Amino acid sequence: MRLSIPRFWRKRFDYYSVRISECLDCGRKFYPRRSICPYCRSRNVKVVTSRGVGEVLTYTVSYYRLEGYEEVIPKVIALIKLVEGPVLIGELVDVDISEVREGLKVEAVLRRLKSEDPAGLIYYGIKFRPIVG
Amino acid sequence: MSSNNVYLIASSMVRVGRYFSKSYKDLVVDVVNELFSSVGSIDIDYLIISNVFSDSILEQLDISTILTQELGLTPKPALRVETGESSGLTAITQGYSLIKSGIADTVLVVGVEKCSEFPTPTMNKHFIKFSDYEVESIYGLSVVNEAALLMKIYMRRYGYSREDLSSWSVKMHSNALKNPYAQLRFLISKEQVVRSQVISDPIRLLDMYPVGDGASAVLLSSKEGIVNNEALEVVDIAQATSQPLNLREDLLSLPATKIVFNKLLSRSKLDLNDLVIEVHDSFSILGYLILEELGLVEKGKAPSIIDDLDNVNLSGGLKARGHPIGATGVYQVAEVFKIMTTGLGDIKRDSCWGLIHSMSAVDNNSVGILVRRCSC
Ligand SMILES: [Zn+2]
Repeated sequence: MRLSIPRFWRKRFDYYSVRISECLDCGRKFYPRRSICPYCRSRNVKVVTSRGVGEVLTYTVSYYRLEGYEEVIPKVIALIKLVEGPVLIGELVDVDISEVREGLKVEAVLRRLKSEDPAGLIYYGIKFRPIVG
Repeated sequence: MSSNNVYLIASSMVRVGRYFSKSYKDLVVDVVNELFSSVGSIDIDYLIISNVFSDSILEQLDISTILTQELGLTPKPALRVETGESSGLTAITQGYSLIKSGIADTVLVVGVEKCSEFPTPTMNKHFIKFSDYEVESIYGLSVVNEAALLMKIYMRRYGYSREDLSSWSVKMHSNALKNPYAQLRFLISKEQVVRSQVISDPIRLLDMYPVGDGASAVLLSSKEGIVNNEALEVVDIAQATSQPLNLREDLLSLPATKIVFNKLLSRSKLDLNDLVIEVHDSFSILGYLILEELGLVEKGKAPSIIDDLDNVNLSGGLKARGHPIGATGVYQVAEVFKIMTTGLGDIKRDSCWGLIHSMSAVDNNSVGILVRRCSC
């Protein structure tokens, strides 16, 4: 993975928080943020910053070896339903694999995605961790 | 003015595999030479290349021109088609369109992909690009993860065990044994599937396609009788796109594939059990979902009918014939052509109709074509 610095920078709010869209015509909320509603094609859409809180619908433990993403194997990849409604796919961190279960409450946390090379840009983005307590 | 009919008049392939001593050009030259030696000298009007990773892996853009030069086909017009994993079938729909519209009479469609030039983790870096890069791939999410999530939902919803869902792979390997062009020509058992390496739980190595190189070619023409072999008519094509998995109402539905099948099957009362069918089973769970979307079996029942199926993925499918990404759709059509005419090795069917389905990622961009034996 190699993203140009401007390409990453202009989407920094999408990578540093969970942003969703709400369609003011059909009322649906969706992830990722877009300016056109995928359900009704309305352009009357506003950006909402999600609380970043949700629950695990289902998950997979992935051993898929991907160049640039091999620091942590296996990864826990989950289908997460945000409290606002939208569903997204994200990585779980700070969790023992044996403790992952459907219904687990999780929250967004900023983590390193990968470093393209030792002297290169370090990319950060959102992952999810269990809500403690 | 009635538009032209479109006929499939010849096909050729190399066996899918790891060709360390051959370049993508060598593979294309091999299949095109074989194709032309089977039909004699035919003048083509257009060359369409299906290839996905030309710039990612081969450092090559405008690959269709480079291949036209290599093949000595200049000054024929040429273009490259790319819709991710469904590129091959999309290329054939584009050839169909050129003939249907009268722009061309004869179109050569070639699919080629070199997937063994780099180690697998490097290739995987390119395979994840089928999803939205800015939204999913940058997080290291891959189609195999999506398929794994679907497989878990499927097992939960319909009460299947992990072993129950191994029937697809076992069947595909059994079919591939008879296909001379298949990459994996050996039998496997359900136990071997369940014990193979975990890729993304519950998906194991033997639930997914192998990595391999390939090249295949088909010749499309507005005339059915210009070669001696029997021809197939391309009766209809369909293509549809869909939103990513997380935006779908029902995660186990394949909305684009459903549109494709509805269009192709609406035109006539086709007996699904009498069709030669090839579907895009990049992961076994997707094979089940596609057959259910096709209506061959009701939802949740596909795993139980696989052992008895004798008209689906006779090639071995992506699972065992292999999945040389941009070439795959062309393989599917090339194989169905042979199965319904001269025979694919010993695989031969007298069916009048054939249905070929391809898609990219989990139903992102899906394509189907319906063919009919000319003598029917
Ligand atoms: Zn809307």
